[in-house]
This record gives sequence, C-alpha cells and structure tokens, in this order.
Amino acid sequence: MSSSTKALYARIGRRETHSSRSMLAIVLAIILIVVFAWVGTEVVIALLGLPALLVAPSDMFASAVGLAEQPAALVAIAGIVTAVIGLVLIVLSLSPGRRARHLIDTERAVTVVDNEVIASALARHASYAGNVDPDNATVSVSHRLGVVDLTPTSGIPADRDAVTRAVSDQLDSYGLRPTVRARVRIAEKGKVGA
Amino acid sequence: MTSSNRFANRLLVFVCGLVLLVVGGAAAAAVLVPGIRDGWKDAGTQVTDQVDSALEQTRLVGLEVSWILIAVVALLVIAIVILIVFIARHGHGHTSRAVTDSSGEHGTTVVESSVAEQALQDALDDHSEFVASHVSTYAVRRTPVLKVSVTCRRGVSPKDAAAIVESKLLALDGLLGRELPALIQVSGGFRARVGKTTRLQ
Repeated sequence: MSSSTKALYARIGRRETHSSRSMLAIVLAIILIVVFAWVGTEVVIALLGLPALLVAPSDMFASAVGLAEQPAALVAIAGIVTAVIGLVLIVLSLSPGRRARHLIDTERAVTVVDNEVIASALARHASYAGNVDPDNATVSVSHRLGVVDLTPTSGIPADRDAVTRAVSDQLDSYGLRPTVRARVRIAEKGKVGA
Repeated sequence: MTSSNRFANRLLVFVCGLVLLVVGGAAAAAVLVPGIRDGWKDAGTQVTDQVDSALEQTRLVGLEVSWILIAVVALLVIAIVILIVFIARHGHGHTSRAVTDSSGEHGTTVVESSVAEQALQDALDDHSEFVASHVSTYAVRRTPVLKVSVTCRRGVSPKDAAAIVESKLLALDGLLGRELPALIQVSGGFRARVGKTTRLQ
C-alpha cells in the first residue's frame, strides 16, 4: 500500500469513527438565520416608521442596557441557563465525539464496524460456549470493554472460563482498533425452561 | 466520507457556545454581584448617550435615518447568506468517475463509478450473511473511494463480513486492472434486528 493510500485510509478511518457534529452545526445555523432575519426585519420596520412585529430595536437595546433594573431572580435564572447551554456547546465542540464504531485491521480496505455487530457476534459465540439460549445472552460493547451477561438455564451451570475464552478468542480474531477487553458475568439465578 | 468541513462545524458550535456563555454569565453577574450591578448601571447611561449621539451624527441627508442601522441590516443579510452557504455545503462528495486514466497517447479512459458499484452490488446480493448492501463512490481528497456498506444478519462475525467484501473487492481489482481505495462499513440496525439470525458456520 502506498503512503498516499495509507494517509487516505487514516483520514477515512478517523472521519468514520468520529461524529462530524453536522447535525448540531446545522441546527444552530438555522436558529441563527431565524434570529438574524427577525432582528433585520425589526430594524427595517423601525426605519420605515411602522409598528414593530414583536419588539422594536430601540426597546431591545434599552432592555439590554437596563438589565440590572429588571427582576433579579428572573434575569439570574435566564442568564445561568444560557451560560450552561453555552458551556455544553463548548464541550461538544471540543470533545472528540466518538461514534459507537471500531476499526478492523484489513489488508485491502478500511473497515469500520458498528459496536452492535460486534456485540451480536459475541452473543452468538457466548451463548454457544455457555450452553444457554441465544435469547439469554446480552452483550454490550463500548469503546474498550465488551460486557457479556448470561442467564443460565436452571440446573445447567454455565462454564464461565469457557465463555470468557470463547469471547476473548473472538475479540482477538477480529483485530479491533482500539482493542476491546471482555468481561463475562453469569447471573446467579437461572431461568426455568430457557 | 462526505466533504463536509468538520472544522467549520466545530468552530460554529464553539463560537455559539462562547457567545451564550459570555452573555448568560454577564447577565447573571449583572444582577447577582453588587459591584458589577452598579458598574452596569453607570455604564448603561453612558452607552445609551454615546449610541444616541452616534446615531444622531451619522444621519443620512434626506433620509433621516442613520447609516449605521442600514449597515447593521446589511451585515445581518451577509451573515444569513454565509450561514445558508454553510448549510448547503454539507453532505457533498459523491463522484461518478471511478477511474480517469490519461496515460495513453490517443486519449483518456474513463470508467464510471457505476461499473464498480454494480459489479460489487451484484456480487454481494448473493450472500445470505447480509440483509442489505449498498455501494457508492466518494471523492476523498480528489481520489475516488468506494464505500461498501453492508448490513449484517444478527450474529455474523464482523471479520467474516469484512473478508467477504474484501474478496469481492480483490475480484473487482482484477476486473479494473487497478486498486480503488475502499471503505467497508459493517453495520447492524433495524433490519438486522428484525431479520433472521445467521446459522452457525
């Protein structure tokens, strides 16, 4: 593989495993457009000397300047809520925004796999190794950890080591990036007839 | 795979966040902290006077309105246009050319991306491991890249799924005589959840 293809694959891999924040940016852009259009319309209407749609620009300015005279509790609550929303947006803009996906080492292409697919494959192998019904195996896969929950059939003990081995073998064979560790939990109470 | 400008997205979110944080914080501080409260009141009267005199001085002859207000409207219109362009630039990046080869003496060879897409699609449709598959082509940094997305049946090993798609890609390489960069996306989703579980292989 040439170095340019490698760089291309690195870029694609990174972009596919991280959120683009497009949704949020578009929603904010639409809100800004609406607000700007409204303020612009109010200014034009005021210039023409017609009655304001909602608030005249001079009143907007006066209430912003005279903020300190308004009811303190109301202004404080509104200000704090606004500031918290702003803080959340800043955190969202700076955080990596990882998506629930992993990269798989493959020769020919970049491969991204939803965590959901990894989980359902693990569930199948775990239920086979633990000798339980597939419906009684629940797996959740996060960035670095896969948690396998098994509910054994009453009277038939599930072998924890065998399940751990089977799940770990599967995870190793996938070659996930970043690597995922398995944790197997077997419910103490079994289910009848499962 | 799209050419959406992610830095611009984050910049917009960051700037909006910063403005809200500063405005909200200032408003809360103006009523809660006594020192700032007095300062705000003093500054308020000054600012009002200054703005009034500025608007007075910049009155346009004959129109009786300040050009500052007209400039504000113009700036708002420009900002709206920029935001609309910003929204419209999302989601692009599809290309209809898979190969453009101008190495020969007698002209250029162009292979449409639908050739590669249909060949792969056909090959993948026969596989029972997948409930759905879709092939599209994007230009990433001006290089055509195939995107093969497959929806797996429940329980299919992602490694097996990737291996199947890779074998089809290698066959396509043989057909085209060159390697197209490719992305394989293995996903689950609603159709995988309601579909039949895979058999043990």
